[in-house]
Amino acid sequence: MIRLEGVTARKGRFRLDGVSFEVRRGEYGVVIGPAGSGKTTLLEVVAGLLAPIGGRVTLSGVEMGSAPPESRGVGLVYQHAFLFPHLTVRANVAYGAADDGTLREAADRMGVTALFGREVRGLSGGERQLVALARALARRPRLLLLDEPFSALDPRRRTLIRREVRALHREWGLTTLQVTHDFAEAGMLGDQAILLDGGRVLQAGTPAEVFRRPASPYVAEFLGAENIFSGTARDLGEAAPDWVDGRPADLAHGHRAFAFQTEGLTLYAVGDFAAGAGHAVIRAEEITIARDHAHDSARNRFAGRVTEVASLGALTRVTVDVRGTPLIAALTTRSAHELAIEPGLAVVATFKAMAVHLC
Amino acid sequence: MNDAPRHAAKDPGPPLRADPHRGAQRLASVVAALAGSLLLLFLAAPIAELVSAGGAEGLRRLGSDAELRSSLLLTAFTATAATLVGVVCGTPLAFVLARREFPGRAVLSAVLDLPLLVPHPVAGIALLLLLGRESAVGGAALDLGLRIVGTPLGIIAAMLFVSAPLFVSGAREAFAKVDPRYEGVARTLGDPPWRAFRRVTLPLAGRGLLASAVVMWARAVSEFGAIVILTYNPKVASVLSYDRFTSFGLSEALPVAAVLALLALVPLTLLRALRTSRPDER
Repeated sequence: MIRLEGVTARKGRFRLDGVSFEVRRGEYGVVIGPAGSGKTTLLEVVAGLLAPIGGRVTLSGVEMGSAPPESRGVGLVYQHAFLFPHLTVRANVAYGAADDGTLREAADRMGVTALFGREVRGLSGGERQLVALARALARRPRLLLLDEPFSALDPRRRTLIRREVRALHREWGLTTLQVTHDFAEAGMLGDQAILLDGGRVLQAGTPAEVFRRPASPYVAEFLGAENIFSGTARDLGEAAPDWVDGRPADLAHGHRAFAFQTEGLTLYAVGDFAAGAGHAVIRAEEITIARDHAHDSARNRFAGRVTEVASLGALTRVTVDVRGTPLIAALTTRSAHELAIEPGLAVVATFKAMAVHLC
Repeated sequence: MNDAPRHAAKDPGPPLRADPHRGAQRLASVVAALAGSLLLLFLAAPIAELVSAGGAEGLRRLGSDAELRSSLLLTAFTATAATLVGVVCGTPLAFVLARREFPGRAVLSAVLDLPLLVPHPVAGIALLLLLGRESAVGGAALDLGLRIVGTPLGIIAAMLFVSAPLFVSGAREAFAKVDPRYEGVARTLGDPPWRAFRRVTLPLAGRGLLASAVVMWARAVSEFGAIVILTYNPKVASVLSYDRFTSFGLSEALPVAAVLALLALVPLTLLRALRTSRPDER
């Protein structure tokens, strides 16, 4: 278990400020944030390499205080690997190995046994990361701290190693904290996602929760939400209107219906929100595009004209102008072809009230 | 009908214009090369002249001149002893200066550089004040049966004073080049600070430390000003060379001076070998 409570730490001019979150025993936590957000500093605080100036760090149920790194049972992998250049690959992996068996298993699982006789200076960036992973795992740590550990791997190897690390995490009962700037990676690996920026935790929760319910427009934007509008939300009252997926009883406990007024558009939303000024967030993949007014249960329905079509491989990003407000939808490229979407085409954009998140 | 040729000639583009600055650039290059060559000649010519005039005689005298031999041995011994003391005491100091932020670090660095700026006879006088028999330290050492001034201990003290700052400065740079994250990784792999230092930091800074020690040794060997005030006798090679010059003239000083110049080639060669750069490995 990794628990941080109000942790403040300083590294040069950078400051981690009142960081709190918990990754429970056996969970895989992912810290997401842009470059310079304090992700690596956070790992160094957990590892005991940087002493916090405030707050508490508790690992495996024990408050660490000023416990040195060697007594914390952590394995740390930096993005740049930091292999010891005066040692061979084997000597690197064996550096802190728990025993021969663990050394062999870690090396085999990370696929570096064949590199054992090599000097560090001859390794590629990806090979270095694999050796660094094997070195940290060979110690059989209770807690694994990973700093962008897959960034130098080619896509195929990245997928394999991600899977392998996740499997080892499960088999060995590790508690893992990984930092990344890639939300997709967080979604694939993490049980917990912690969003960090400017040394502060912006939001923490399951990746699905953070993804669906960003705490602020900044978080939404960081997580790749394309449609973010500022405006005012008005509570439509206790009784759910008849447009909420059929029956009022279907409205989850505590959820209410809202009308969100933004420039020229009224969006309908359902959820546990507060009325007043704020932002509405709709992910592009929640918006569907049709050439005419098809009948479905979606409450939000806007006629507009396509202004931009950008193909991104399997997905196509379509921008629709609705009375001066751009709505961005993500369609499969196949659907876009079938609909013959092109700039200037009149279309109808629809999305459900449940797809509108107010923050 | 279109009379244009099917394959038009390739447009050669606008004609190349002569660079108006080209002549000035060439002149500047020639002047710079000339200035550099002159300095190189000025530095190398006296040594070359010295070695060619007295080198053979100096090497021959190594077999026959007992005073020269013992002087060279004394020089090597005292320089090595001063270097060992400098390395043992200077390494932790250099590490702390490279790694730790603390109030007064800049002042400490300046104090360490001071001996490099003080004229060496002045350094000798200062050491005489501190270590002479009338001083508290010199008196206490005498009580313990240790005479500093006028003995090899005085030579070692003078050498240490003028050359140790060079080691500390070089060692500090060598430690600063080792990314502390290497130590951090070693700590998470179970090493307490001392073991991480021994297994990781020291090997990674090793070449820089050795190069700094060689520089310190070479500087100690070449010291004259502070030694001549603290310990004229027994004579190290630099003092012997001066003594022969003032007592017997240039012809007697020449072989000793030439042997010293040849001796300087040893650390120079070592330094060349050590400074073969290696790329940073992460």
